[in-house]
Amino acid sequence: MNVYLDISKRYLAAHKKRTGLSVLSITLSVALVVGIFSMLDVLLKFEKIQVIHDYGNYHILVKNATEAEKKAVSGRIDVKNTGTLFSFRSGSINGDKCDILSVQKNFAPNMSMKLLKGTYAQAENELMIEDWAAEKLGAGVGDTVSFAFGDKKEKPFKVSGIFADYGDTKATGEPGVTVSLKAAEKAEVEKKCWYLIEFKDRADIRKAERQIKDSLGITEDRIARNDHLLAVIGQSDHKAAVGLYQVGAILFLIVLIAGVVMIYNTFHISVMERMRSFGLLRCVGASKKQIGRIVKKEGFLLLRWAIPGGVLLGMAATLFCSALLKYYNGYMFSAIPLFTVSPVGILSGVAAGVLTVAAATLLPAKKAARVSPVSAATGNGEIRIRKAKSEGFLTKHLPVETAMGVGNAVARKKTLVLMSASIAFSIIMFLGFQVFVDFMHTSLKTTKPYTPDVSLMSEEGLSPDLYERVSGLPGVKRAYSRMFGYINAEFDASLLTDEYKKAVGNVKINADGTLSSPEKSWLISYDKNQLKWAGTDLVEGSLSEDKLNNENGVIAVVQNVRKGVSYQAAQFHTGDRVFIDTASGKKAYTVLAVLRSVPFSDSNLNLATFITTEKLYTEITGDRTFKIIDVQLKKAGRTETVDKIKSLAVDNIKFLDSRQKNSEMNQTFLTMAVFIYGFVVVIALISILNIISTMNTSVTSKMKYLGVLRAVGMSGRQLDRMIAAEASAYCALGAASGCVLGVLLQKALIKGLLTSIKIVWVFPLAQVLCVFAVSYLVTRLSVLGPLRKIKSAGITETLGSLQ
Amino acid sequence: MDILTVESLYKTYGEGNTKVEALINVSFSVKKGEFVSVIGPSGSGKSTLLNMIGALDYPTSGKVSIDGRDVYKMKEEELSVFRRRNIGFIFQAYNLVPELSVEENIVLPILLDYKKPDERYIDELLDILGLKDRRRHLPGQLSGGQQQRAAIGRALATKPAIILADEPTGNLDSKNSRDVINLLKLSVERYSQTLVMITHNQNYAAYADRVLSVEDGVVSQLGGNPQ
Repeated sequence: MNVYLDISKRYLAAHKKRTGLSVLSITLSVALVVGIFSMLDVLLKFEKIQVIHDYGNYHILVKNATEAEKKAVSGRIDVKNTGTLFSFRSGSINGDKCDILSVQKNFAPNMSMKLLKGTYAQAENELMIEDWAAEKLGAGVGDTVSFAFGDKKEKPFKVSGIFADYGDTKATGEPGVTVSLKAAEKAEVEKKCWYLIEFKDRADIRKAERQIKDSLGITEDRIARNDHLLAVIGQSDHKAAVGLYQVGAILFLIVLIAGVVMIYNTFHISVMERMRSFGLLRCVGASKKQIGRIVKKEGFLLLRWAIPGGVLLGMAATLFCSALLKYYNGYMFSAIPLFTVSPVGILSGVAAGVLTVAAATLLPAKKAARVSPVSAATGNGEIRIRKAKSEGFLTKHLPVETAMGVGNAVARKKTLVLMSASIAFSIIMFLGFQVFVDFMHTSLKTTKPYTPDVSLMSEEGLSPDLYERVSGLPGVKRAYSRMFGYINAEFDASLLTDEYKKAVGNVKINADGTLSSPEKSWLISYDKNQLKWAGTDLVEGSLSEDKLNNENGVIAVVQNVRKGVSYQAAQFHTGDRVFIDTASGKKAYTVLAVLRSVPFSDSNLNLATFITTEKLYTEITGDRTFKIIDVQLKKAGRTETVDKIKSLAVDNIKFLDSRQKNSEMNQTFLTMAVFIYGFVVVIALISILNIISTMNTSVTSKMKYLGVLRAVGMSGRQLDRMIAAEASAYCALGAASGCVLGVLLQKALIKGLLTSIKIVWVFPLAQVLCVFAVSYLVTRLSVLGPLRKIKSAGITETLGSLQ
Repeated sequence: MDILTVESLYKTYGEGNTKVEALINVSFSVKKGEFVSVIGPSGSGKSTLLNMIGALDYPTSGKVSIDGRDVYKMKEEELSVFRRRNIGFIFQAYNLVPELSVEENIVLPILLDYKKPDERYIDELLDILGLKDRRRHLPGQLSGGQQQRAAIGRALATKPAIILADEPTGNLDSKNSRDVINLLKLSVERYSQTLVMITHNQNYAAYADRVLSVEDGVVSQLGGNPQ
């Protein structure tokens, strides 16, 4: 030993077990911060690829850009790629309805367009089609097809190439056709012309957009943004994105605070138990500053082990998530390396560790320095005398050992606050991150119990007989059908949203306050199964077929799609009356339930969407034929079953294949789910380990005190009860305050920031119960180890352990 | 030359009915190189007196000067430095740092003063204390007598102006107690140290140049001749 600060090293080396526990606690806290921040970093990388796949790799677009504007934009130093895209109303190919697009060749990869065969369409009479459409049409590269834009003027076009299927078009049954840019430019039909802009990685897109608008005099209505991509790269001003950023910022701040509290707690316990040693050092001449330095040095020595350990653990969690996603979709995520190192995550973990230890050592150092040398020298104050008042109260009402346990917990207020705060923060984090889970389930569509694999659809109606035949096919797991049509529905005009009034313009109001419907509403029939499945989107009311039938009920849907954009036309609540023109005159119906959304949309302009039972639907419209039969397939023999169903699609019946779209939707969901659940699992695991480690440390640090109690006659069972009571006090206070604050946070986050995406907050009873049960069990189990050790050791051994 | 002067020292604990006067108007002085023992029954105020002299605790009123400096007038940091350089403590319970070896415990006050220990002096101390073979041992590996000898070494390490010993033989058997007292006496003579020692044992008190008695907070001189 050359300098006095080496005492820290010697202390840590002499108390290996305690040092190990402290290192473990700090490691876990660092791992928590590194894990969560790295996972977020990597999530955004994965999400970016996912969003580019789903929505295209462009940041903003300029509508009807002139050549001069294009030249000015493409010449900017912060622009990576630009391209023109035309979109048209549906046209036809060989007589079948089709979607038409045209994308400048250099921008095609940005729009996830992958050429499989042939060449990119260049000449004025060239087009490319999707693989599945080529098969359906029996057309190959070099073949001539009859193609028409929306003007229905058919012309011969040469198929120059075939590109990979798009899930969406495959599911709607309308093939995607990409015509050459020349053909698009020449076409004299209604068309949209967008100039898509992809900026370089570090560009300030908001600023660039402003500059482009200002310098070229482009008005706001000519600009549109790829909000999904902007949101993922943190450059969106969209309301929902900003709401999510705020939720994220708050939750990540809580993770940081939790890390800090956990590390502080570990330190506090470790320093408090050695107050006497510090007092002795003061006797032999150590100044307060020197004591502070010893404690600080000890902290940094612990960090030397804890930081690399925490960083590795945190990275392991991230690696696990990355590996899972790459395994599931190696093709899409091939660009992301398996070992993704996140400098942001590592730096935040290291910073949290170092800063916390620096800050956390301040208070104990001060406290240690305040220790009276007298009490240290004489040994007084080693076992504190608690206030007789609380002990007296407790011993009157509880067995003495339980009273002592609770008294121990309550008497040392700071320890009580820190122990319960570190439990509480774990719970707050757990409950807070559930908001992301809610968000994910609400805003990302995925295959739900009702998602069909294939469907048969006909405007003219499908007979109940066809439904029976489809249901009876051996490879069909489930078939369910819907009727839908348009109705005149009137309701109280005050329910209309400003958004709708603005979109439609003048809305006439009748004398009785109902609106004179400017547009028809969409009415859908649901069978029992579909009503049950809709429960996941229920905002208010109940979904009982019998109740709907008996009370002439309808279900209102909050979100409606208008021109491809989701919006809310009216604010329905249960009990609202809707007057519908039925086959037998106008009738009043009651809104018995409100759904957030329905899993399908209508391309026609509707006032609102209502759902009712098949019986009421027929009563209202007089129609008995289904518009669509959805089919879910069994796993085995899919190709044969699909072929059989396809063969039923004759005359006006369309066969729709949603399988690719479903798997793409699942992929989108999975990308986020892996990380969101990853967050929750990391938080839960680390919280549990943190409780175990702090309880363990707390008991280990009281070995001598417990030895004294055994020496004066406390039995092993009484010791168990005393420690259990103390642990339970920490746990109860921590769990209760954690649940209260966590639930309030959850409510505030959802109500304050996520109402725009219609997430409804409900009291998370199951989560709260689970939290209480887990923290109680973990707390009780975590003291078993050290207790067993105390009981198995001799009393004198325990007493001497802290000499 | 007086190395220690105690003037009109009062120490009172509590108020009203619970008021205890631990020291009442204590005044005495100790010359350099003098060995003074303090005797008195339990609770008489001996330890309080020693804590006051070592500035481990503060009096209600009065003054203590060591080497001409008023210890209660010093600021906290200054006092720490003064204590580590000028006062050596020996406790009944040894109070060695359990994680440090005998030698490390002895040099600790020197290291706290950011100085390099004089190896020859430390070797000599270890030799006198009979701990040369035990220098690398931890306190837990030593007998009570050996631990107390190490504590004496620690008190002597910085060659302080005064050594304060609170019942240094209280935890030892008679043979070890005699050894420790002899050692203390030897150190005082060899290094011209000043020693104030509290003891219960009248026999050990007799080793001192002068004996002070404390009874109910009042200090009186029992015997011996001030040098």
